[in-house]
Amino acid sequence: MTSARFTRHADPVLGEEVLLARSDAGMPIRVLPTARFRDVCAVVSVGYGSTDLGFDLGHRQHRSPLGVAHFLEHKLFEDQDLHVFERFGKRGARVNAMTGFGRTTYYFQAGTEFEANLADLLLLVSRAHLTPENVQKERGIIAQELRMYEDSPVYRGFFGLLGALYAEHPVRHPVGGTVESIAAIDVEELLACHAAFYRTGNMALSVAGPVDPDRVLALADASTIAAGDAPFRVCPDDLALPSVAHVDVQMDVARPRFLLGYKDRELVSDAETRLRRDLATRICLDLILGAGSDARESAQRAGAFDDSLSASYLGEARFGVAALVCETEDRSRAESAMRDLLERPLDSADADLQRIRRRQLGALVRSFDSVQSLAFGQAEEALLGVQPFGQLARMQELRIEDVEARRAALFDAAASATCVVSAR
Amino acid sequence: MTASFAGFRLIDVGGPPLLFAEDPRFKTVRFVVEFRRPLVAELAAPRSVLPGLLLLGTEAHPDRPSLARRMDELHGSAVVPGTAKVGELHLLRLVLDAVAGRFLPGSPDQIGDGLALLAEIVTTPALEGRAFPAERFERERRQLLDAIGAERDEPGRHALSEAIRRACDGEPMAVPEHGGADAVAALDASRPVEALSDFLERGEAVLCACGAFDEGELRRAVERFLERLPEGAPESCPGPASIPRRAPRASTEELPLRQSKLVQIHRFDGDADPDGWLARNLLVGMLGGSPSSRLFREVRERRSLAYYASASLDRYKGLVQIQVGLDRAAAPAVRDQIVRQIDELRAGRFDDGELETARAQLVEGVLGVDDAAASRCRFTLGQWALGIDRTPQDAVAACRRVGRDAIVEAAESLWFDFDHLLAGEEAGA
Repeated sequence: MTSARFTRHADPVLGEEVLLARSDAGMPIRVLPTARFRDVCAVVSVGYGSTDLGFDLGHRQHRSPLGVAHFLEHKLFEDQDLHVFERFGKRGARVNAMTGFGRTTYYFQAGTEFEANLADLLLLVSRAHLTPENVQKERGIIAQELRMYEDSPVYRGFFGLLGALYAEHPVRHPVGGTVESIAAIDVEELLACHAAFYRTGNMALSVAGPVDPDRVLALADASTIAAGDAPFRVCPDDLALPSVAHVDVQMDVARPRFLLGYKDRELVSDAETRLRRDLATRICLDLILGAGSDARESAQRAGAFDDSLSASYLGEARFGVAALVCETEDRSRAESAMRDLLERPLDSADADLQRIRRRQLGALVRSFDSVQSLAFGQAEEALLGVQPFGQLARMQELRIEDVEARRAALFDAAASATCVVSAR
Repeated sequence: MTASFAGFRLIDVGGPPLLFAEDPRFKTVRFVVEFRRPLVAELAAPRSVLPGLLLLGTEAHPDRPSLARRMDELHGSAVVPGTAKVGELHLLRLVLDAVAGRFLPGSPDQIGDGLALLAEIVTTPALEGRAFPAERFERERRQLLDAIGAERDEPGRHALSEAIRRACDGEPMAVPEHGGADAVAALDASRPVEALSDFLERGEAVLCACGAFDEGELRRAVERFLERLPEGAPESCPGPASIPRRAPRASTEELPLRQSKLVQIHRFDGDADPDGWLARNLLVGMLGGSPSSRLFREVRERRSLAYYASASLDRYKGLVQIQVGLDRAAAPAVRDQIVRQIDELRAGRFDDGELETARAQLVEGVLGVDDAAASRCRFTLGQWALGIDRTPQDAVAACRRVGRDAIVEAAESLWFDFDHLLAGEEAGA
């Protein structure tokens, strides 16, 4: 008998169910109970990431050094008192965490001892076991991690591009900060950020697999995660045209990289509207640059770029960026071809959109074959506060005119910037 | 009586063996056919350029966009030819990954249509005479050369491939999957066609399928698929070369990196039976298989000497690969720790909890393959390649029987062969 606190939602294609509830302390919970999998995957997602560098405490504004969210993730995850790795390891659970621009995510996947694993996952995010000594030790490990990223041309180029597009918004800074910025992070800073953002109103729990939903709810209710919402974030809008058109990054690189980026100049606060905009953007990129595009193939045959060309879109509440990257010796030729493809009206018809709808339908059905994909997808939707299983309706309601309108709005030459990563 | 292998049914469909498992839990179908050939320097380059060329068009779908659009019409089915270096073998692996028709409007024949497209890609590529069109061939050859040139832009991967190349000098394992830049530069347009024929006609082939289908549906699609392949005269592949113990060797490559990479190659004395390999696998797990393992705890957590420190086993060649991302100055201390931790395991100085944690990780990993059609196929094909008829549950039962003595025996047979440091110049300055 499942608790009456759950509401049921069925997906429109397969009829599979997700149950929605809130913990006593107000954390949104989604459970996909299914015996089709052996493993359980549980995800705790926190609406806190590298761009949350300022918040209002009422009597004053708090400013954080770069890299605090990532540092905090490391410290929570490596709680020496809880012995996270040993406890999960003994149960054979795979456990990990990651930090992005607007999210910190913790998860485990395991075939046994689901309740013990979930209790530990909730415990580790509920508290910060910090001492000056263990913070100092972690600083050295994080510095090593940052140096590893600094050897990556794609990473350096991406943040070079973001730095050109955004003069003020913290998305311009690397997620983990810099070796210099993490030197300023101490116990007090980490505790302040944990207290501010690790709150039930700013987190979500999602569990998929062979579980009893009532046990999930009971464990979430028993969790000591602080109740309440995140504080008001202090963050510049930074919607102006880029003040820097081009950035050069020099490092030891065997093959130069060229990046072209476009920034959104309009913020969309409503999550459902933003998801529709994200979908239109991704389909636009697919129609223009996907493997099925004749225009891309023509440009590639003409030698403008090669298979290393990839495109992505990152859209969050406070910023949105489309980025293209390729390896090339001839930056101007690649740039000219990319701009020609993106900055002119779409050469696609309803039939093209219909073809992509078929692929998206396949992808939706396919997502039900992965316990991890289910848990992560629902955690994100829970944090955004959107209804489950809305992808198909969004896709069906999208028209080719919407895609063209989105292309015209985003791929504006004036709102673009470029970056070249080349050898010193 | 129905034959089976590793929990899959094994049937004769008039060609290579077909291993399959219908599994109604899934909504997708995974079909894999592998053609195995020995890894040899002179054929590696033409084989490696092959997948890209095959995806540039067929007689019926004459260019890449039309092929891609056909896959979209099949509800995003992945119909993919690929090559892979697996130990000292070179594989042509053809994969169909499709949503099962029963979950789609109109119940389309996803397996039949998908396998027809797969057969089309490998049997009727767009050719000019007996070669790929010159422009397409040049495009793929150029791309592969550029990709080879850019390999060192991924320092971790570069360090590992350099360590293997140097450690295995003189063995087939030293041949890079692409054969090397010189071999690719020397290719002509007819060689990939010959390489394709060599795979299809002389390769040891096996078919594997798992997912939401019924046997009749699969049989019909596979029979039609096989009818389109050329007659084959498969040749068996040799086992991996075995090397006697020798003194450890070392090399250093300097690049201006912010983080250095240390890679060590260790080997076991000769072959072992399947249970012996499980003990070796557990030993590697205790040494560096997870965040609970010795290298992570001692090198990263306790001493902050590195961001990552791990060990993994290449079961097909029998190499243990230890990889560490570190400051160059920390390399001597890390090397000391690696030696010390292996010595401790060899001396039996480990507690039962450590063994049980490594066992739990291995057991969960093996049982977890049951949750996806792709991982079930991968496990079964791996067992087939190794000639071990064990289901995941059989493997787990055997794993549970491995005791302390077997771990010590495995550690005693482990020997240190090669140390390669990709040294960051700035850090070392």
